[in-house]
Amino acid sequence: MKPINKSLSRRSFLKLCGNTLTTCAVCSLPFLDSEHLPAAKGEPGVKEATYYDVLGEKKIQCKLCPHECRVADRERGTCGVRENRNGTYYTLVHSIPCSAHIDPIEKKPMFHYHPSTQAFSIATAGCNFICKFCQNWEISQKRPEQVEYMKMPPQQVIAIAKQRGCKTVAHTYTEPVIFFEYMLDCAVLGKEKGVPNVMISNGYIQEKPMRELCKYLGAVKIDLKAFTEKFYQEICGGKLKPVLDTLTVLKDEGIWFEIVVLLIPTLNDGKAEISQMTEWIVKELGPDVPVHFSRYYPTFMLKNIPPTPPETVITARKIAVDNGVKFAYVGNMISEWESTYCPSCGKVLIRRMRFATRIEGLKGNKCKYCNETIPGVF
Amino acid sequence: MSLTRREFGKKVLASAVGLGASLYLPGMPFPREKESFVAVARSTKLQRVGNQVNKAAAAEYLALSMKAITGTPSDASAWKSLFSADETVGIKLSCLPGLPLSSGRGLVMAVVDGLRSAGVREENIYIWERTGRELKSAGFEISHVGINIVGTDYYSNAGYSRDIVFSGSVGTCFSKILERVDAVISVPVLKDHDIAGVSIGMKNFYGAIYNPNKFHGNRCDPYVGDLCNHPMIRNKLRLTVCDATRVQVNNGPAFYPKFAREYGGLLVSRDPVALDYTGWQIIEEERKAMGLKSLKMVDREPTYILSAAKLGLGRADEKYIKKVNI
Repeated sequence: MKPINKSLSRRSFLKLCGNTLTTCAVCSLPFLDSEHLPAAKGEPGVKEATYYDVLGEKKIQCKLCPHECRVADRERGTCGVRENRNGTYYTLVHSIPCSAHIDPIEKKPMFHYHPSTQAFSIATAGCNFICKFCQNWEISQKRPEQVEYMKMPPQQVIAIAKQRGCKTVAHTYTEPVIFFEYMLDCAVLGKEKGVPNVMISNGYIQEKPMRELCKYLGAVKIDLKAFTEKFYQEICGGKLKPVLDTLTVLKDEGIWFEIVVLLIPTLNDGKAEISQMTEWIVKELGPDVPVHFSRYYPTFMLKNIPPTPPETVITARKIAVDNGVKFAYVGNMISEWESTYCPSCGKVLIRRMRFATRIEGLKGNKCKYCNETIPGVF
Repeated sequence: MSLTRREFGKKVLASAVGLGASLYLPGMPFPREKESFVAVARSTKLQRVGNQVNKAAAAEYLALSMKAITGTPSDASAWKSLFSADETVGIKLSCLPGLPLSSGRGLVMAVVDGLRSAGVREENIYIWERTGRELKSAGFEISHVGINIVGTDYYSNAGYSRDIVFSGSVGTCFSKILERVDAVISVPVLKDHDIAGVSIGMKNFYGAIYNPNKFHGNRCDPYVGDLCNHPMIRNKLRLTVCDATRVQVNNGPAFYPKFAREYGGLLVSRDPVALDYTGWQIIEEERKAMGLKSLKMVDREPTYILSAAKLGLGRADEKYIKKVNI
């Protein structure tokens, strides 16, 4: 999508928003270019995994994510997509995404990385978490043989992205950490061919594989699901500390990254928690990291809590701003705080309404009104 | 029509008695008898030849076991006391380790014969496992003609229910095969499990849900009990027939010859907890005989069995388990 002419009338802008939403809907149809195959016809997707230790007597210990699953022969790790076969650990999902769509990069959400462009977005089955509020549980919580998939090796991923005019490839929807090898191969090739890859992740990954990915990825978005161990353990099946460690690794690597916080009433939306979280972000990661606060909607195993009131999201954003976060956004709702404002002069730099984006005040990576440098990749 | 106060009271009482009776019918799971019977058959005839279980031997000892646990005079009456002719019955196998350590075909076919003797029609019998691939690896051919032999995967056109169901700590989707059947027989293998301690009859139902990998924390405790406490399993599980012809004593759940014993055994019970408890004790004895440490000492004590007992799924107390040696 080209940047919108800033002299558009209100009517034209709304019309454009409508068109964009229609395009998104069309692009969200299952990607039918590739071959759809039922599971269990042979075994595509199987490739030896990286990052595991051999323990002897055919046992292994996975070293990809902080679960560090000890996996006996013929068993799988928590993710359900990595299997021990006779003492060798395999990924079962290399090159077999179960989902492929073209999305605006803003949908990830990622606001400071090639805004107003499209991302060819792929996912395989599986996740290393079991978030009770997962929107994509029908693929993230399943095993590869329980979903339909398509064969799409990295060369094809990059070729489709280029052919469809996508600026980036996004590894998203489920948890890309669990299809690490596939994502890495796509990222290496994408870097070579000028199609940067982005990882939309829960950040539950060990330091070594994360640093390896950083060499090839263009950007990362991390879901910081809460700021308490209790929430991570009871609601997600993981731990907070490793996610914070990943964020500091990203900072250390100098890769562009953004943070998303999905606010769930009574579980993680306390003002004190938001304050502690954003204080930590500013102190450890700096004030330039964009933080997106999103509304939750009931789904999967969490249907007894109503959607997050918009005012809760607005309040969280304000707390973040008060704590020094320069780019705090709201998501899953329409608001003026979806747009990017210059932290120096306060003028609108990028105007957004859901996934419709208009670049208004940016010249390169500077505010065209006051010449303030805006962090990100534009 | 008008009822007198006395007639009304009588009707209410009669209804209550009827309701009480309907809650406890023959063939229902987990009978509240004084003791839970577990038949433990052992014979050299039950030892595997190669990887095969002898069907005639399996049928002979299964018949004796069925009579012992039901207290009925004949094999057929034993099966008829648990299953009726108009029912659809699922036989859940355990095939993850492949041919050397999966539910033996000879034993499974003996179970099928038992159901036939109760009048259950072939087309109403589902021999079933998580995937067709696992069934094939254990020597079963997928079939939709006569007896159904199917996996819950896409290939078998079965799949999992769309709705999430909850039971204690477990949130999951059940196999549509499990949903389809009226009654279930679990036919596991007696084996060690690297995380849970042991994997026998109750844990076999991890193969009936779509996300078993999410429930292995804390040695599967309390997840196994919570799963089996769901009405989908609790109300359908009538019988467990455990293949102990070859027992994996350590380094399970896959087949690992160094720690496998040619046990020549068969365990049968209506009480899934009592059967798992008995199987656990056998594995402990065999570990001791091999010079291995107890499961508790290697931090793999299968406490999920005790938790399942606390849920009322059966008995894990030797005082109330009547072991019948055959």
